[in-house]
Amino acid sequence: MIEARALTKKFGKRTAVDGIDFRVQPGQVTGFLGPNGAGKSTTMRMIAGLDRPTSGEVTVNGRHYREHRAPLREVGILLDAKAVHTGRTAYRHLLAMAATHGIGASRVREVIELAGLESVAHKRVGGFSLGMGQRLGIAAALLGDPATVILDEPVNGLDPEGVRWVRTLVRGLAAEGRTVLLSSHLMSEMAQTADHLIVLGRGRVVADATVDEVIARATGSSVRVRTPDLARLHRTIAAGDVTVTTLDDGAAVVSGLTPTQIGDAAASAGVAIHELVALSGSLEDAYLTLTADDVEYRSAHVTRTPEEVAR
Amino acid sequence: MTAATLTPSPTVRSDARLTFPRILRSEWIKLTSLRSTLWSLGLIVALGVGLSFLVASLGFGMEGASAPDPGAVVTTATIGVSFGQLIAAVLGVLMVTGEYSTGMIRSTLAAVPARLPVLAAKSLVLFLLVSAVGAITMFGSWAATYPVLDAQGLAVGLAEPGLAPALAGAAVYLGLTAVFALGLGTLLRSSAGGIAASLGVILVIPTVLPLLSLAVDWADEVAPYIFSNAGVAMARLPSTESVEESIGQTLLEPGLGGLVVLAWTLVSLTLGAIALRRRDA
Repeated sequence: MIEARALTKKFGKRTAVDGIDFRVQPGQVTGFLGPNGAGKSTTMRMIAGLDRPTSGEVTVNGRHYREHRAPLREVGILLDAKAVHTGRTAYRHLLAMAATHGIGASRVREVIELAGLESVAHKRVGGFSLGMGQRLGIAAALLGDPATVILDEPVNGLDPEGVRWVRTLVRGLAAEGRTVLLSSHLMSEMAQTADHLIVLGRGRVVADATVDEVIARATGSSVRVRTPDLARLHRTIAAGDVTVTTLDDGAAVVSGLTPTQIGDAAASAGVAIHELVALSGSLEDAYLTLTADDVEYRSAHVTRTPEEVAR
Repeated sequence: MTAATLTPSPTVRSDARLTFPRILRSEWIKLTSLRSTLWSLGLIVALGVGLSFLVASLGFGMEGASAPDPGAVVTTATIGVSFGQLIAAVLGVLMVTGEYSTGMIRSTLAAVPARLPVLAAKSLVLFLLVSAVGAITMFGSWAATYPVLDAQGLAVGLAEPGLAPALAGAAVYLGLTAVFALGLGTLLRSSAGGIAASLGVILVIPTVLPLLSLAVDWADEVAPYIFSNAGVAMARLPSTESVEESIGQTLLEPGLGGLVVLAWTLVSLTLGAIALRRRDA
């Protein structure tokens, strides 16, 4: 379990992380989302004691990372693939990391095998591709068989097989009861992997809920209805916050009611229903809506408004 | 909470935790698994022994001598210190700045979040390794020059009072030089900056000081206490009459020279430790 309380980090005048509170629970995969510069990496670095919070605190299993006697067994962390000396072989790198905790060569070989690095284990890291570097970083994070795993953009640069490997691995780690915090900009991947999401925008938590809740809240829930007598249905369900929009093909989109409520209303009014489908946005839609105001580095073409995104 | 469902890996034993000897071992693996380390140390030995042999063969420093001169033998055997100290300094700087430039430092400090044990372990491993290589170089140089000098009747055995301590002093000086540079590298976190700063102390100060002495009186007073002059003192025979250097400065006694070099090293390490402790990685 990772717990942040009023966690704040300022770099000069810029506030990277602005007094955030969150909990990352064991036994599930928590996705950590946010635009570039939202404070994800800084937060992860503070969890691992690499950056010192300006104020507030963050603990792992009830203690500051620094106070653990076996940090590698508490937290395995992949901050970025470039946390390895390029002149050393992958095997020696892992061996040196493992040696600090008295973890032996057998575990080093185990994580090399797990990450599929056997063929390059004795090659120097400087010649590694981005994907191999990621695999090495993940292998290093798993060295201490840690109770908490923090992976910053683990699928960055991985081939499709590697992406699937990370997904399976991360799901497996959570199923074993470990705490998993994962950041990624690939929303489709996150939607498949994460159970819970913490979304940051400009150093603040803009959402902290399950994936389904985040999507529902950000994109709203609406229902597509097809009926031969839309006018009567409309009168039946009309209320303050219910809106009905007619589509070109004759169907209507109702927001403010669940499919059950609409179906029941139609039945009691004797209106025939030909189609009744709950619509939910994608995680990407939800994400873009949530962070629309918080994007620090916006590209010129991405100018979708929340209304457009919510469709 | 849900720890009951955790399946611990059988290859990670439950006593796996940080200890200082383990951090030492990690730093030993890191230092000896880089090619640049092996090249640097090999160069110290090769240049040291090679230069000593060359100097002895050509008879430099012993022109017209008819009796064995222990002082000249020490000077010949430790001639490699001049280059060796530069290589040791670069090695010491790179031991830590190489971690900053590649990002390795984040892996290192995530494994040892208390940080200071990392610097202590680096210092100890570096000191022991470079001093050992220094000893091989100095005693190797003495051994390599012995037959050449013996043929001229100028050889001096290791039993000569002060000879072995002078060779050992030169070796320890190389070890301390590397650690001194390690401290500066930790403070500055940049390879270029660290190398410039340490070579500045080792090479530039002794060059500038004689010029300075033309302007101010105290320059001659401090000259024996600057880093490399104190290092030269570590590698000389103790004597009752002070040995005058060719540039006119007085050298400290070997023991005091060692303490002065140690003091420089501790100051550098302390500055490095403060920076390491305070800054974000």
